[in-house]
Amino acid sequence: MITSVKTVGRSSIIHRWETRHKLLGFAALIFGFAFVRDLRLLPLILVASCLIYYLAALPFSYLFSRMRLPGFFLLVLAVILPFGSGETTITELGPLALKLEGSLNLLLIAVKFISILTLSVVLFASTPLTGLVGAMRSLGVPSLPAEMLLFTHRYIFQLADDLRRTRIAANLRGFKGKSLFSLKTLAYIVGTLLVRSHVQSERVFQAMTLRGYGRETVQIAMAAPGLSDRLALAGGLALAASLILAQAFLL
Amino acid sequence: MHIPDGIISVSTALGGYAAAGGAAWLSLTKIKRKYKNPREGIPRASLLTAVFFTASLVHIPLPPTSVHLVLSGLVGVILGWYAFPAILVGLFLQAVMFQHGGLTTLGINGCLIGLPALLSGRLFQLRRLFGRDKAVTNALLAFGSGFLAVALGAFAAAFLLIYTIPAHMNAAAERAAVTALSLAHLPVALLEGVFTAMVILFLLRVKPELLELESR
Amino acid sequence: MPSILTARALTYGYTGQPRVLENLDFNITAGERVGLIGPNGAGKTTFFLLTCGIIKPLSGGLEIIGQPVQPGHFYPAVGMVFQHTGDQLICPSVREDIAFGPQNMGLPREEVERRVADAVQSAGIAGLLDRPPHQLSSGEQRLVALAGILAMEPRLLILDEPTSDLDMRYRRRLISLLKAMEEKTMLIASHDLEFILEVCSRVVLLEGGRFQADGQPAAVMSDGSLMEKHGLEVPHSLTAAWHYHRGLNSPIILF
Repeated sequence: MITSVKTVGRSSIIHRWETRHKLLGFAALIFGFAFVRDLRLLPLILVASCLIYYLAALPFSYLFSRMRLPGFFLLVLAVILPFGSGETTITELGPLALKLEGSLNLLLIAVKFISILTLSVVLFASTPLTGLVGAMRSLGVPSLPAEMLLFTHRYIFQLADDLRRTRIAANLRGFKGKSLFSLKTLAYIVGTLLVRSHVQSERVFQAMTLRGYGRETVQIAMAAPGLSDRLALAGGLALAASLILAQAFLL
Repeated sequence: MHIPDGIISVSTALGGYAAAGGAAWLSLTKIKRKYKNPREGIPRASLLTAVFFTASLVHIPLPPTSVHLVLSGLVGVILGWYAFPAILVGLFLQAVMFQHGGLTTLGINGCLIGLPALLSGRLFQLRRLFGRDKAVTNALLAFGSGFLAVALGAFAAAFLLIYTIPAHMNAAAERAAVTALSLAHLPVALLEGVFTAMVILFLLRVKPELLELESR
Repeated sequence: MPSILTARALTYGYTGQPRVLENLDFNITAGERVGLIGPNGAGKTTFFLLTCGIIKPLSGGLEIIGQPVQPGHFYPAVGMVFQHTGDQLICPSVREDIAFGPQNMGLPREEVERRVADAVQSAGIAGLLDRPPHQLSSGEQRLVALAGILAMEPRLLILDEPTSDLDMRYRRRLISLLKAMEEKTMLIASHDLEFILEVCSRVVLLEGGRFQADGQPAAVMSDGSLMEKHGLEVPHSLTAAWHYHRGLNSPIILF
């Protein structure tokens, strides 16, 4: 289930966009989208996110696969909002009344959610994690959380493997993990992983210290941005600003 | 308890980022004061964060279904001040790898999960007053940590959602909704408390030093 | 002698890649101690996972004592000791860990205690009962893991690289232990060819998804050209014998 976070797709203009500019551009767009409250702006953000997805040259099936898990939350809202919230009834379905305000609210949340999700899928599919962390560092994120991010990411795959093998070994001794009585064994498994990881981390630290880790902060070398990178950022900022202004005007 | 993108207002989201930034700054200050070289604790904190991340993906049975545990209480107990950056890291990776949780809501989710984690960690340290090695003390405080971390987080999340979604509900309905959402998390919070107590008791027998690392 | 394990036309692989196991036919009868040798990546661990019902073959099937193996079911008749004992030992005391299997089998308390006591005595680890397995040395962990499987009283004992992290002392202890279990059917994968020579009554060589040789350990492993062809070496204690057997008919079956 946990697969390696590699960049997806072939090199597109989004893939080649310099990382710091890309990060700022996407952040501005995501917040711009989040600012929208007027339904009339929804088509604009939907089209914008589709365009960016198209520019990233990613397969549509990839977006669909990424939407499945978080899409579940939309399903829950789709049940609650249109029936639970609002005053104007559109129609009645048996004992339930479909409300206008709730339905429109659902539409607003759903489109914003899908558009922002699309942007985040593009950002992470087109940028390796090391590049992302480097960009974050050079934009001011402190080194401790940044290094933790890279370290944790590197060990997640090993931990997933350790957990899988430990579960298999327990299953081979009859453990099923389906009833509340399994709680104790699951706690033992988590505890065992904590103990093993702690021991391993001491070895990792020693090995890294022997190779000079910890003496000084790692220098980040970032690629020099070109004109196209700056223009793309300007475009992203302009779009975000337009959305915010339009929203403020429409209010 | 992860609030996704698209629901809360931008001002709330930015407020969340500000609060998370503040809490992160505080945590880093505390960490630097404790370690001459704060990077010493990074491999350990990161590996343990990886364990929590992976463990939170396990299906824990809660009849008639199963749930994923947040384990924020346990994170607070074992990682101490590293718990806050650890939770931010975990949330970010969940967003990157599974599109779980939100990006605009990273700050807010960090606070909803991370602040109770820090509190729970402090709560567990009360064991110094009641007998550090007694199994009962450890079990009760561990249960409290696990339970509170999730209960507080769920309550705060429910509060935030109900009062910030423009949902045209009257005040009484809003209060009822918050209560209902919070109560819905009660079984999970109890489960987290029990599970946390079990893990802590395990660690007490197998590697008690792990519980001492962040006690000061 | 009854058949303990039978594989028929067993095939396993991933789409678009060469098969890990190709049309394997294999049989172990009761009391045999079979060594499984081969280079890394030959499919030994895959074969074990298929035997335990953890993964499902692409085609073909397996039977344990005449019962077909269905993936996802629990077969206490097969007990496997993992290469990395850390994956197997999860309980906070040795006693609890050894009791884990019998308890999951739903056995009554007295029976569990009896089995734990027997397994502890076989493995010679009475002094370790109250210690957390995580604090033990790798040799001690290996014996505890083995005891945990023996407590389930399996008909087929599978060992995956059992000497890989053992010092000489524990290696010798393991060899004596296994040789003392005269009627236990075993399947042992190992790169430690001298160990295979001492413990096993039969050896099979797995490479390229197929069994390349099957016969008496000394006869198979003293065939220098066979061993080298499959990325192995003649064990040192047989090297003089290799020159001797070169010209003779040896009781090896080559595929």
